[in-house]
Amino acid sequence: MTAPKREDLQSLGERLDAAEKRNQVPRPSPAASTMGIAFRFTTELVSALLVGGGIGYGIDWAFDRWTHVHTRPWGMIAMFVLGAAAGILNVIRAANEINAEMAKKDGD
Amino acid sequence: MAINPMEQFAVKPIVPLHIGHYDVSFTNQSLWMCIVVGAVSLFMALAVRQRSVVPGRVQSMAEISYEFVATMIGTAAGEDGLVFFPFVFTLFMFVLFSNFLGLLPGAYTVTSQICVTFGLAAFVIAMVIVTGFIKHGIGFLKLFVPHAPWYILWLLVPIEFISFATRPISLSVRLFANMLAGHTLLKVFASFVILLGGAGGVLSLLSVAPFFLIVAITALELLVAALQAYVFAILTCIYLNEALHLHGHH
Repeated sequence: MTAPKREDLQSLGERLDAAEKRNQVPRPSPAASTMGIAFRFTTELVSALLVGGGIGYGIDWAFDRWTHVHTRPWGMIAMFVLGAAAGILNVIRAANEINAEMAKKDGD
Repeated sequence: MAINPMEQFAVKPIVPLHIGHYDVSFTNQSLWMCIVVGAVSLFMALAVRQRSVVPGRVQSMAEISYEFVATMIGTAAGEDGLVFFPFVFTLFMFVLFSNFLGLLPGAYTVTSQICVTFGLAAFVIAMVIVTGFIKHGIGFLKLFVPHAPWYILWLLVPIEFISFATRPISLSVRLFANMLAGHTLLKVFASFVILLGGAGGVLSLLSVAPFFLIVAITALELLVAALQAYVFAILTCIYLNEALHLHGHH
């Protein structure tokens, strides 16, 4: 087999590009899967609530264990509310990321 | 006849092993992790064996996955994020192969266990924290301090902290819950086929309906398997980006 000439390779590349353009199938973008988005938002929100409540519970437990100050249940309540705020923040950030990704895809 | 859809997730020891008080048995879980690692290694080794200019099928599959991950890191974490390519690529291939191999009948889905996904996620977050502190020193803590007037900062810093602490949990729960839900659904519909088929009469004919549904759900599960591997990898890149550049969300 002789080595392929440069022009041959170039014309092959051009033909490949043309064929690719002709057969282009609009690929479903991962972000466009609605269930995926829903799942992302749910986990962001729920896990923030869990983490917030968990930290609050820990604070109450620590105060009970090592000091004479009884914070229960206020630490958990306060941190749960903060956790809800963090969850909403997470969802807004996730939505912004997905929006940016989709805008980039549309721009292509 | 009782068909338990959760039975498929049971961890069973194959080689019982105890060190001190700890149970370190080699289980079906460990076996399938080894199979996944072996499959990825075999796939990559086979793919690069020929090293032809015009790639064959296996080689182009490997090249596509390489370029896919490289582009993902480049866009999500920037050019200097590419030092993490081996890490992200390994993570992506491991999750992808676990998800796909888990779909084979009789296979065990490694990623349907929260301990596995949480292990991966905790490692990612540890990596992010270490990278952040190496790159920015104590300045990495600025990640928790958004641009805001001082009189609301005392409220915003705890919120930012909780938001950060959420990451390993949301990252691991998402992957684990998707796998768990999908496989449970498949098993439930599969049991419908058997129960209806055994019921006799008109009901036996009806068993065709859940059968076709299983075929459709399996196709959906293939999509979910790839999608979740992608989501896991891209979120890793996004978190690494924040550790590298700190400009995250200001």
